[in-house]
Amino acid sequence: MPKITINGQEVEVEEGSTVIEAYKKLDENIAHYCWHPGLSIAGVCRLCMVEVEGHPRLQIACNTTVQDGMVVNNNSEKVRDTVKWGLDFHLINHPLDCPICDQAGECGLQEQYMEYGKYDPEMAERKVKKRKVVDLGPTVVLDSERCILCSRCVRFTEEVTETNELGIFNRGDRSEIGTFKDKPLDNKYSLNTVDICPVGALTSKDFRFRQRVWYLKEADTICTGCSTGCSVKVYYNEEGAWRVKPRHNPDINGYWMCDEGRDVYKFVNKDVRLLTGLQRKDGQNQELPSVDAAKLAGTVVRDELEKDKNGVALVMTGQFTVEETQSLVGTFAGDLGCKQVYHWINNEDSFDSFDGLLLRGDRNPNTKGLEKVLNDQAINNTWADLKQKLESGAIKTLVVAAPENPSLFPDLDEKIALFSKVQNLVWLSAAKNEALDGLNTNVWQVPLKTFIEKSGTYVNFQGKEQPVKAVTTIIEDALTLTEVAGLLKGSDVNVTDEAQKMTSLKYNYFTQKRGNL
Amino acid sequence: MITETKLLSEHYDNPEFKGIEGYKKLGGYKVLGDALKMDKQKIIDEVKASGLRGRGGAGFPTGVKWGFLPKNDETRYLLCNADEGEPGTFKDRKMMERAPHQLIEGMIISAFAINSPKSYIYIRGEYDSCIEACEKAIEEAYKAGYLGKNILGSGFDHDMDVYRGAGAYICGEETGMISSLEGKKGQPKLKPPFPAVQGYLGKPTIVNNVETLAAVKYIIRDGADAYRKHGTEKSAGTKLFSVSGNVQDPKTVEVPLGMPLMDLIELCGGLKPGRKLKAVIPGGSSAPVLNVEDCAKAKMDYESLAELGSMLGSGAVIIIDDSNCMVDILATIMHFYHHESCGQCTPCREGTGWLNKIVHSIAKGDGRLQDIDLITKVAEHMMGRTICALSDAAALPATSFVSKFRDEFEFFVREGRSKVKGGLNA
Amino acid sequence: MSLVTRPGELSRWYLPGILSGLVFTFKKMVSNIFNKKKMPTLNYPEEQYEYGPRFKGNHVLTVKKDGSLRCTACMLCATNCPAQCITITAAEHEDPTVEKYPISYEIDVLRCVFCGFCEEACPVDAIRMGPEWQTAAISGSEFQYDIRQLAYRPSLQGGVESRVDEQERHSSGI
Repeated sequence: MPKITINGQEVEVEEGSTVIEAYKKLDENIAHYCWHPGLSIAGVCRLCMVEVEGHPRLQIACNTTVQDGMVVNNNSEKVRDTVKWGLDFHLINHPLDCPICDQAGECGLQEQYMEYGKYDPEMAERKVKKRKVVDLGPTVVLDSERCILCSRCVRFTEEVTETNELGIFNRGDRSEIGTFKDKPLDNKYSLNTVDICPVGALTSKDFRFRQRVWYLKEADTICTGCSTGCSVKVYYNEEGAWRVKPRHNPDINGYWMCDEGRDVYKFVNKDVRLLTGLQRKDGQNQELPSVDAAKLAGTVVRDELEKDKNGVALVMTGQFTVEETQSLVGTFAGDLGCKQVYHWINNEDSFDSFDGLLLRGDRNPNTKGLEKVLNDQAINNTWADLKQKLESGAIKTLVVAAPENPSLFPDLDEKIALFSKVQNLVWLSAAKNEALDGLNTNVWQVPLKTFIEKSGTYVNFQGKEQPVKAVTTIIEDALTLTEVAGLLKGSDVNVTDEAQKMTSLKYNYFTQKRGNL
Repeated sequence: MITETKLLSEHYDNPEFKGIEGYKKLGGYKVLGDALKMDKQKIIDEVKASGLRGRGGAGFPTGVKWGFLPKNDETRYLLCNADEGEPGTFKDRKMMERAPHQLIEGMIISAFAINSPKSYIYIRGEYDSCIEACEKAIEEAYKAGYLGKNILGSGFDHDMDVYRGAGAYICGEETGMISSLEGKKGQPKLKPPFPAVQGYLGKPTIVNNVETLAAVKYIIRDGADAYRKHGTEKSAGTKLFSVSGNVQDPKTVEVPLGMPLMDLIELCGGLKPGRKLKAVIPGGSSAPVLNVEDCAKAKMDYESLAELGSMLGSGAVIIIDDSNCMVDILATIMHFYHHESCGQCTPCREGTGWLNKIVHSIAKGDGRLQDIDLITKVAEHMMGRTICALSDAAALPATSFVSKFRDEFEFFVREGRSKVKGGLNA
Repeated sequence: MSLVTRPGELSRWYLPGILSGLVFTFKKMVSNIFNKKKMPTLNYPEEQYEYGPRFKGNHVLTVKKDGSLRCTACMLCATNCPAQCITITAAEHEDPTVEKYPISYEIDVLRCVFCGFCEEACPVDAIRMGPEWQTAAISGSEFQYDIRQLAYRPSLQGGVESRVDEQERHSSGI
């Protein structure tokens, strides 16, 4: 393995890697726009200039292969001046849009300007005017003026999705990114182009103008949209979560994630959540604290079990963490002695499908984990069995650990119709469900926490265990399935929030850190 | 009496030379027969020994370039660069119009030397007459058995095609041409890998200028030593110069390298009566300009011009007399490079546009004094910062015009009009 | 440890102090009766002070030539506000040259400390601190100033026009 010296520090890198990769390995600062580790090398932004000892001319780090004994630096006056001018060339036709630009705050141009720029602009001529607010497709909006033509998005559609929707049209400083006639950017991974855009040229329609990025905090978690379990960052504030972006994980998702996975944040926010416990008894709806609702439901379940061992059943979905699944299934099979636990598979026809890149037909984050728990308890009941028992009226009380993301369960209404044949329905779910409000059975609804509010482990399709930490609390009254399991069996449970709820006074980092910034 | 040394252009004036019959009558395709009997390495060595340098602009030794090809039996391609886009150059057009077979013969010999089964002539879109002539000549050569399978019984197969460009200057850059040929947008590719290793369709590719490939025929015919007799030690052979501008008789002339610039002007009839020489652009619009003092010293070969801070380029000599305003000329050049920048690398894309705007604002009389220094500053930071040399090609004339004719720029800024009476903006 | 000095014997004689104070008050009263112009007191609200042009009073949202809001909803004022009294909701404008505008812009004046940081942070001269300062109202909700109050209250007579003109900026190529 060749050794090279970067800014005075020696580092050993893999054979055939480039100088910029060595910089990244050392975590040394190097300016770049067009280079992206997940894409091919374009070498067009000309910012990653480095001085290689023995070379009279500056080289671009992204296309210079490492050779043993190379001595490289990018902090000499010559390099800094070149980068400054490189930046100036990027900025002369860049509009002063920062106030309305969504990228402001996480913009590559702003970052590099603070590092290398801070000069008086010498450009006195008019800027080149291009198209603004161009609709590229269902998810992405383009602003050509802001584009620095790094070609990352073009290379993404060329190399990763291989759909080739984007291209650079025209020449010189009239070049523009664009789509071909009648071929919008509508692939299932289109929003990755927004992530890799170093400036505000490509913006997401979903996130556009909804928040300034400096109001948001980010935290690591995983996507619960399908069984791939991509590593993601969730951006949130005291009002809830606002967007999801992929996080690099070489084992699972690389640098990307699908557009559908980006919608998972929508199911954790207040407007779609069950806020308190609900009881529907004798046609009367009543709100009550979630702990009380769970306790009441527990009493009913235990009473029914005493009457008839086979009159109670539990329906599980692969939406919960391993720990939660274990404790609820364990409570039923162990403490309560009820082995009637069933696995609700949401979309049986497309369950095993795969789109070739990331998105899987199994739209549950923890199917493997649930299967393992059921195996450990030696439970292998079939859905047909449950259906038959429900229709015959053999099961009088049903506990359902329902999905937090109802959009992934196309058969939800159909299943509710089936479940409503019982006398008592205990519905454990993070999501609000209006269909339950008018049922003729007795219903107890207990609000659950969503994936960003609780810690736990998910097992993805590869069998890889992924622990996640609680990020924030959105609904304070919500419970985890573990807590519900405890309440159902009648023990006293100490209910706590794992993550602190963000309070509004702390959200404004700018005012809090005035002077440091 | 100054005369031309006609090697390539010997039979230009003979209309028969265009057709295969006339060409054969005048000794055509004889060399090919001899060459096909030679050892391939021997041809390459001969070209190396002749000191032939690329006639397209960069002046890279041709034999050395051929030597970069990997020593394996991968398919390799020979591309003839006939995308003659450099403003002021018209030597290749004349060659293709008047002696297409000469080019084809040179190409077949070269292709044989590098063992390439397929070659393309990439001709710029505006050259209708050349495309017609080359296509006709290739057809004739196929019929006569000089192209196709088993050429002249040697067992060497070769196919040749004409590819019509769409008139982009940047496609004259070898990797830009390869992109265009591959059906992509004509944009230069990152180097390394160089085309000799990974070029057209990812295969080793040699790109040579029309004049270079035609000269190969004469090197093989006369031998390297005979070829070296022309020209200087380091710049061997003859060169076609396209002399244009304010001379009495603008034309293509073939002279040995190393001829004094003033003699070349003389050869083209000298300046118009009553005019004085002001400047010469010796190698196409991308070459730095020479002022009168430089012109007196200048010899037309690679080294002497490099010493004067300019370059021989494609051999397009543009003579400028005292009736021209240098600001106007630079504005025209800058407009060209702004228009032709492919837009890939930022310094070139934005820099050519910026320079164009500054120079035009000066040429409109709206300039500021600091703009003159700004031209130099911007140009300096465009140089050597991009994938291909177009950025340098735009920056070099800008810096040289400003440094050598600063008084004219300053006059324009101060007075808002040209220093030259009778100029466009006078 | 601090030393405490007790008042001396003399201070027990308080009457002279009271009397001298009364004399001063009486003198002022008499002089005010005869020289009303020098009197510093104003008969508010009939009479009011003229404040300097840099006085930081109630906020004004400026408008463009066509009367629409100049604000681009960049949230820099809200970010910069130390009292966190500004709440903005942005939306997409139909006109691509405008692109972003606030559908709601609210200032909680009871929280505002009138520091003027919003004015300083604004990149487009959309918010200014005006000369008005009378913020009386009879219910708490009236202190939540909205766009109608901030930009189009009757005292502004149709709105204050911004110095920064978008059309001019665009045409001059900025």
